[in-house]
Amino acid sequence: MKLTTHEELSSWLDSLAENLNLIAPRAVDGVPLYRPVQHSQEVLWDFTRPVLSVKEAFFPATERLLTIEKGNRQIRLIESLSEEPQVVFGVRPCDARGVKMLDALFTAAPGDPYYARRRANTTLVGLACREMGPTCFCTSMGGSPDDASNMDVMLYPIEEGYLVQAVTSKGQALLDNYALQSREHSTGQAEQKTAFVYEQAEKYPLPERSAWAAQFEDAYWDQVAERCLSCRICAYVCPTCRCFDVRDEALPEAMSNASPSGNGSSQFERIRCWDSCTGEAYRRIAGGHNPRAEKGQRLRNRFLCKFDYYPRQYALGSAACTGCGRCIDACPVNIDITEVMQHIAEVSQC
Amino acid sequence: MTYTQEIQNKARELLGGGQVEVVIGYEVGPRGRTRPAFVYDPQDVERLVWNQACTHNLTTYLNDHLKPKHPEKKQGANSEARRVAVVVKACDSRAINVLLAENRFERQQLHVIGVACEGILEDAGQAGNERSAHQLVTNDPPQYQARCRHCNERTPLVYDTLIGKPESHLGTGPNPARPDAYQRLQTMTPAERAEFWLSQFDRCIRCYACRQACPMCDCPTCLYERDDSLWVGMGIGLNEKRAFHLGRAFHLAGRCVGCNECERVCPMDIPISLLNRRLAQEVEAAFGHRAGIAPVPAPFVTVLSNPGG
Amino acid sequence: MYEPRIIGFLCTWCSYTGADTAGIARLKYPANLRAVRVPCSGRVSPELIMRTFDQGADGVLVLGCHIGECHYDTGNHRTAKRLPVLQALMTFAGLEPERLRLDWVSASEGERFARIVNEFTEAVRALGPCQWRQPANGRRHLDLRAASLETSLPERGGQP
Repeated sequence: MKLTTHEELSSWLDSLAENLNLIAPRAVDGVPLYRPVQHSQEVLWDFTRPVLSVKEAFFPATERLLTIEKGNRQIRLIESLSEEPQVVFGVRPCDARGVKMLDALFTAAPGDPYYARRRANTTLVGLACREMGPTCFCTSMGGSPDDASNMDVMLYPIEEGYLVQAVTSKGQALLDNYALQSREHSTGQAEQKTAFVYEQAEKYPLPERSAWAAQFEDAYWDQVAERCLSCRICAYVCPTCRCFDVRDEALPEAMSNASPSGNGSSQFERIRCWDSCTGEAYRRIAGGHNPRAEKGQRLRNRFLCKFDYYPRQYALGSAACTGCGRCIDACPVNIDITEVMQHIAEVSQC
Repeated sequence: MTYTQEIQNKARELLGGGQVEVVIGYEVGPRGRTRPAFVYDPQDVERLVWNQACTHNLTTYLNDHLKPKHPEKKQGANSEARRVAVVVKACDSRAINVLLAENRFERQQLHVIGVACEGILEDAGQAGNERSAHQLVTNDPPQYQARCRHCNERTPLVYDTLIGKPESHLGTGPNPARPDAYQRLQTMTPAERAEFWLSQFDRCIRCYACRQACPMCDCPTCLYERDDSLWVGMGIGLNEKRAFHLGRAFHLAGRCVGCNECERVCPMDIPISLLNRRLAQEVEAAFGHRAGIAPVPAPFVTVLSNPGG
Repeated sequence: MYEPRIIGFLCTWCSYTGADTAGIARLKYPANLRAVRVPCSGRVSPELIMRTFDQGADGVLVLGCHIGECHYDTGNHRTAKRLPVLQALMTFAGLEPERLRLDWVSASEGERFARIVNEFTEAVRALGPCQWRQPANGRRHLDLRAASLETSLPERGGQP
């Protein structure tokens, strides 16, 4: 593995920012987020993780799918696919693992072209975590703070700088084309990177997938959900939650006759945006019936989807939770996924 | 006796005597975070605590818990009406007045355990000594929340049981190290103000936590979440987000009691309480009305008594 | 050449009829006003006004009956209370206060109608085009240097 210094890494980032859309962790009014940066000086180092995951880079909060132009005799549909090559720097291993799980859905046949195009145009440059945050539990979920397996390039921060590992050929190309300066590491030991010791207060039990549905009728869901506010924070910060709503809406130009468009056309857009099963209206169907009108039903659904339905449907081979801990930090009423896991583990042993 | 013990004793008495179905209070979770608690059994009252992280406005749960079992009957005719006990601070108690004024439930359905609060800390809602993802740019020790610094009445305005000594304001004044934008906004040009708000709303993800945390936001279908996008589009874009926040602030004019939970729960640290503060000031100047001081409705639902005045 | 786009919410019983009166008397007032008839000025809700600005209006004029003359007794009382508060909010959020105006016009006051519309149009013209509305889908931070979705639309009036 090669070694690079902080200065060399910064100048490589500057070079990337000049030529591509570079996304990196940045403090936006004090809030750490993955955002476009123009210069390496904007990058935020030394903190646990951004508030939102990297899924925004592939599955933005709002996206225009089509523009629809209604003319006098025709309807035109214009697709809008993103063409811009982008690099995401500073990706946490938990986030990259989340992207891999989203791939299972979005790239399964027939495939989602919007996601797939962004995915193909993006290079992921990972940064290993020196230590785990107080709410992190990736090691309980089959991941690790220095897991390189879903990255294109992986960086390991050590005292002398960063160890650089090209994981894929796409990653190698990025290193070569923008000339990251580096040298052989003096000890030459790849194991140097595992000098990180991930001490953790607890490892949380991960129940078997079948244990979750067995607790469908458990009164526990209603009890925990009593304090739930039915907001969408947990789903929106989560690296693997992926529900969305699609709607056709008129563009303002369509409604303005004050500036006539000449050929009587009007314009609409088809957009999609994030949605969440925790919202009260999520499962309401035409006619008004709502099979998940109660908070306990919605809370149960979210956890079962995370630990049973999604893994089963897409043969993920693991729970669909990467252990990033964002939901624990962000939930306003401290509904804690690790407590839920512990409860399921306990009752399933009886 | 500590406040915690007093609350536990009261809860035990109310639940044991069957006076209420549930006590809504606070507990501490395994990670050391204080959170809302719903205690149904007198054996469980030891879960209840009081500390300086009791930030949540528990009155937001009242509408659901006090829903009449037979909505088609008039309120007073509901002899099976539920009764609950709720632990409130002074700011939360003002919300009870607003909800009473709006006929959400009847006063006798509530046993209010009011606490003469000594201030809530800024990192309330986060784990014990642990830092949230946001606290990366400052190493200040936690201070009192901004609302506590401006608090004028520590004693709840509505209570059946009072815990703590009635005292006047805590108000230690604004923290000079953390000036908020309120005064600054008043002196900006319109274009600068517009840019300020757009840059704040850019971060918003329409998670609706602000709305859900608010006791007064309880419309069965929110105007800004309609399936037909009548007033605002569904997208998480700038126009939509701004319309949602401004519209919600307007709907709360004369009703928002300044508990500030909306701002506390925001995962993106958007200072939305600035909007509510501006409108509270306007409503007080124009109508002499302060939300929650008495169970009277906001001025918009009444007619002018002095036309042109 | 910038021509302000003004939306006027006129109540059926007074101000809309006042506009008719102005028309019958052949009084001149700027053609920038697009009239929207509502049953009562009390129907004009804050979200309606906000949506009007979000759709690209340069100015919004709300005209109702004089206080005490509302066809529905107290409809205009509500408007009289709501609009100033909305004004305070929109100003705080960065809209120039001159772009939103509430006034009272009775059915017979054709001249008053024409004068108000004239004044308001000129005030809005002086401010220039309104910058309130952001492009559809707004500033989406992850697409900083992506081709703007607005400019990827076909030219208006182009060949299908």
